[in-house]
Amino acid sequence: MSFEICGLCTTSSPHDPQNFHNHQAQTSRLLARIPSFSQLAIAMASPSSCIVGAVKGIGRPSTLQSALRTSSRRTFATTRNSYAASAWNKSGEKGAPCHLQRQMVYRKDLLSRMRGTSAQPARPFSNSTPRSALKTIEQVKARNKGGPFNVTAAILFIGTAVGLWVYFTYEKERLARKKIADETKGIGKPKVGGPFNLVDQDGKPFSNKDMEGKYALVYFGFTHCPDICPDELDKMSLMYDKTVEKCGNVLLPIMITCDPARDTPAVLKEYLQEFHPDIIGLTGEYENIKQTCKAYRVYFSTPPTVKPGQDYLVDHSIYFYLMDPEGDFVEAIGRNFTADQAAKVITDHIKDWEKPLKKEQRWA
Amino acid sequence: MGWLPWSSSDGNDGVKKTSGGAFESPSRTNRVKCYEARDAFFECLDRNKILDSINTKNGQSAATRACGQEDVVFEKNCAHSWVEYFKKQRVVNYQKEQTIKKIEAEGGDIVAPQLPTRQQS
Repeated sequence: MSFEICGLCTTSSPHDPQNFHNHQAQTSRLLARIPSFSQLAIAMASPSSCIVGAVKGIGRPSTLQSALRTSSRRTFATTRNSYAASAWNKSGEKGAPCHLQRQMVYRKDLLSRMRGTSAQPARPFSNSTPRSALKTIEQVKARNKGGPFNVTAAILFIGTAVGLWVYFTYEKERLARKKIADETKGIGKPKVGGPFNLVDQDGKPFSNKDMEGKYALVYFGFTHCPDICPDELDKMSLMYDKTVEKCGNVLLPIMITCDPARDTPAVLKEYLQEFHPDIIGLTGEYENIKQTCKAYRVYFSTPPTVKPGQDYLVDHSIYFYLMDPEGDFVEAIGRNFTADQAAKVITDHIKDWEKPLKKEQRWA
Repeated sequence: MGWLPWSSSDGNDGVKKTSGGAFESPSRTNRVKCYEARDAFFECLDRNKILDSINTKNGQSAATRACGQEDVVFEKNCAHSWVEYFKKQRVVNYQKEQTIKKIEAEGGDIVAPQLPTRQQS
């Protein structure tokens, strides 16, 4: 409404008080004659239809109306006022100053005819386009119908809710893993793992220092194991492959024998070749193996002295020990885990590792 | 601890073994052969409704009578320690199954760790 009234007002010069007051009077008269709100709304919505309404309200001769119509036709190349209105709005979005200018000229014309006087050169009050992009009152009504609840708000709300849920779920899982990983760090915690000096399947020395810089998956077994160890080593190969696929070469699969008397480096090499070429088999003197098993809290029952060719079994703990790049114990993975579940546990821990992993290939 | 008398005579037939009766090389193929022989022997025991073929004298003689042939093949293809292990494991597995069934029948809910059987793989 203010826009329209101002639009009318601008046709007179503010420097001419007489004219200005005349106009105010005319505008208030005009408004008083507009019978209903709908007409007022129409007056608000579009300038050309407003002027039609105003002309009707004033009840001046129809020549004015026809003059207006022809003027509309000339300006917007359409005969219908509603179309003219929308055309005005559309063009108003694109090139307002030019049209506004034309609008002013034609209003000045109209008003001077109404008053019978020639108007002062008009200065437009504002060159800015109307802020609302809505074209009709129906659109305005439709927009405001549902109040603040509309599709955009709903999408934003649901999106935020889902985002928060995903974030908090992830954080919860990560903190749970961190807790497991941190349980064995620091003072006063049970220590699993530790220094050892063994020999790998190629006869080269291998100590706990060689494990540093990468995660390690340590398994204790022996080659003459009837059924559990082969199954577990097959699972270890799968776990290793899945982890490497996801995280790259950051994991050392290690099998430490509990049966050093029979499992020489050559035997281990032949045995492990059937499972995975990357698995490192460690053996050594009985005392070294015993000390390593003790460090890892592994129970085993190999007799200390065996005759060559003697047939016996070794009872031992059957956990996978996941060790971090600093040589600290992270988590034990039991037989109840499938290869996929175990690989997920391992990859999750590896992803949590914030310090850069030593990625170079050390055992090609 | 010994080697059963009949298996040492024809050692060439089965898996290569040391003088003590252990595998020379417990390779994958050797293991598969052993598992097959074991499953055949256990099937025979199942048919004859024999559970224990090692812990009691009655069981041993019943197994030898009913499934002597399969037992020979079993011994031939597996390390002797493995044969003993599997025979004992069969009894233990059965007892565990029964215990679990009993607990479940009484309304208890337990999640027992998986037992080392070859049937799943």
